[in-house]
Amino acid sequence: MRWCLALLLCCFLAAVNALSSSGSRLLVVLDESTEKSAYSTLWSDLEGRGYDVSFESPKSDKLSLFQHGERAYDHLLILPPKSKGLGPNLTPKNILEFLNKDGNILLALSGKASTSSAVSSLLLEIDIHLSNDRSAVVVDHFNYDTVSAAEKHDVLLLQRPGPLRPDVKAFFDGEGVLALPRVAPQTLGSDSALVAPILRAPATAYAYNPKEEMPAAEDIEATGSQLNVVSAMQARNSARFTVLGSVEALEDEWFSASVKAPGGKKTPTVNREFAKQLTAWTFKETGVLKVEKIEHHLATEGEVAAEDLNPKIYRIKNETVFNIEVSEYSYDKWVPFEVPGEDELQLEFTMLSPFHRLALEPTSRTETSTVYSAQFVTPDQHGIFSFRVNYKRPFFTNVEEKHEVTVRHFAHDEYPRSWAISAGWVWIAGLWSVIGGFLAFVLVWLYSAPAADKVKKTQ
Amino acid sequence: MPAKRHAASTTSAPAPVTPATLSSGPSTLKTNASAAAIAQHVWEQYLATTPQRTLLLDAFMAFLVLVGGLQFLYCVLAGNYPFNAFLSGFSAAVGQFVLTASLRMQTSDSGSGSSSKPSSKGKNARFADDNEDQGSGTSHERAFADYIFGSLILHFFCINFIN
Repeated sequence: MRWCLALLLCCFLAAVNALSSSGSRLLVVLDESTEKSAYSTLWSDLEGRGYDVSFESPKSDKLSLFQHGERAYDHLLILPPKSKGLGPNLTPKNILEFLNKDGNILLALSGKASTSSAVSSLLLEIDIHLSNDRSAVVVDHFNYDTVSAAEKHDVLLLQRPGPLRPDVKAFFDGEGVLALPRVAPQTLGSDSALVAPILRAPATAYAYNPKEEMPAAEDIEATGSQLNVVSAMQARNSARFTVLGSVEALEDEWFSASVKAPGGKKTPTVNREFAKQLTAWTFKETGVLKVEKIEHHLATEGEVAAEDLNPKIYRIKNETVFNIEVSEYSYDKWVPFEVPGEDELQLEFTMLSPFHRLALEPTSRTETSTVYSAQFVTPDQHGIFSFRVNYKRPFFTNVEEKHEVTVRHFAHDEYPRSWAISAGWVWIAGLWSVIGGFLAFVLVWLYSAPAADKVKKTQ
Repeated sequence: MPAKRHAASTTSAPAPVTPATLSSGPSTLKTNASAAAIAQHVWEQYLATTPQRTLLLDAFMAFLVLVGGLQFLYCVLAGNYPFNAFLSGFSAAVGQFVLTASLRMQTSDSGSGSSSKPSSKGKNARFADDNEDQGSGTSHERAFADYIFGSLILHFFCINFIN
């Protein structure tokens, strides 16, 4: 009975979590309900993907990210407020605590109004920097929309980004042109491994404050592709924080707009697809890795018996097999995880420092996961070792596995017998010739003993 | 090693040689004899005066030196990979040599000591000999039994150790 109930509960949970791998409660923080209608396509898209969207004003007293010390929402989407700051309930401290409790955040900025210092200090905490002049926008005289910004050149037209590095999967890839009006540029701190750019400005872009008469050439901090249009931070607990420079790109108007680059044809934008990719990644519908099963055992022919799996103890110089089953979440289901590009999943066999660091090769595949395996000989060193898999890449959730085993030395009867080693035959022959010589000597001695006695007696 | 044995016997040989000229030994050595002649004389003296059991002991010790030397040479040339095999093979030869040497001391010394003049030579030579000569001294049978017992223990350990 209880078993049936558990199964039912599992089914319910599965139904509830049909989309994001980490819950469906989404809070949208936006200023006025009038503003809400401007993004109606986005809301309906999100609801169509299974999110339970609720809206709050930053000034509202009811707004709280936590209830009874737990997260009240799984995801947070913050649109830029008209007023200064995000209000008393969305202080940088609260937002970081939300992040620490595995909540995901998508923060949109706008170049229309200057960004509040609360948002700026929040971004400083995660090593994403806004320009000193908080009302700067990105301008490009080569990649702008001639339809809507023929004069100001502040609507960027960009391709969707490819892979960031050869070893990183492209989650935001695709055909078509993105229109990004009035982007608030961000720059990333160089010493943080947790931040990564999603979309960079083109090389010909620069930041410029349209309200000032003369652009101040001397205090330019970053230009060209140093400026980020969309950037991301994935915390060590794999919670995600995305900064979108242009909130207007999410508006219905730009989802369906047609744009024309200088000297190009008029094409519809792909903002809607990009918004889907961006929200899907931020709210953990893509790029989520899960370790299904870890097995290690001695290398043997054929099947391994269940009691021989995952032994607690190995001996030095044992041939050992390690298997790890990894799945990747893709929008609504778990699929086999493929290592992108030239990258590899690595296994470390460590005691303080790694004794082995081996590439795990995909050996088999189930419907939802890929099995990666490596076979190696345990090092000639006994002690407490651990199998470790530490896979941390931009845009993928962190995989960090550690399984401890003992490696013992040879038992005294496990060494090869001396006659099995041909190099030792000379010494074996030496030993036996000494023994044989001894026996022969004893026999001759006993035989010759009376004669010796006689000699003695005669003397 | 046999050369050393000769050297050892040369020290003890002259003592009995001078009084033993009338015995069946070869002719006495001239004062200005060549080195080869001296060596040959010593060798002949050794063969003539040494009891047969002592000769047998010397032959066995020479054999052990040869076996031990070959094993050591092989270790130097071919490496010591099954090191326990080298240790036990080599130490069997060395240990057997030591045991055989002590058997030789116990049997041949008391034999010569009792045969030739006991007091004069014993007192001049070594204190240990003196002790053995005058004290009860182990009998040959007892010495041989000890030798076999010691050797069996040695072989037991070596065979175990060579695995």
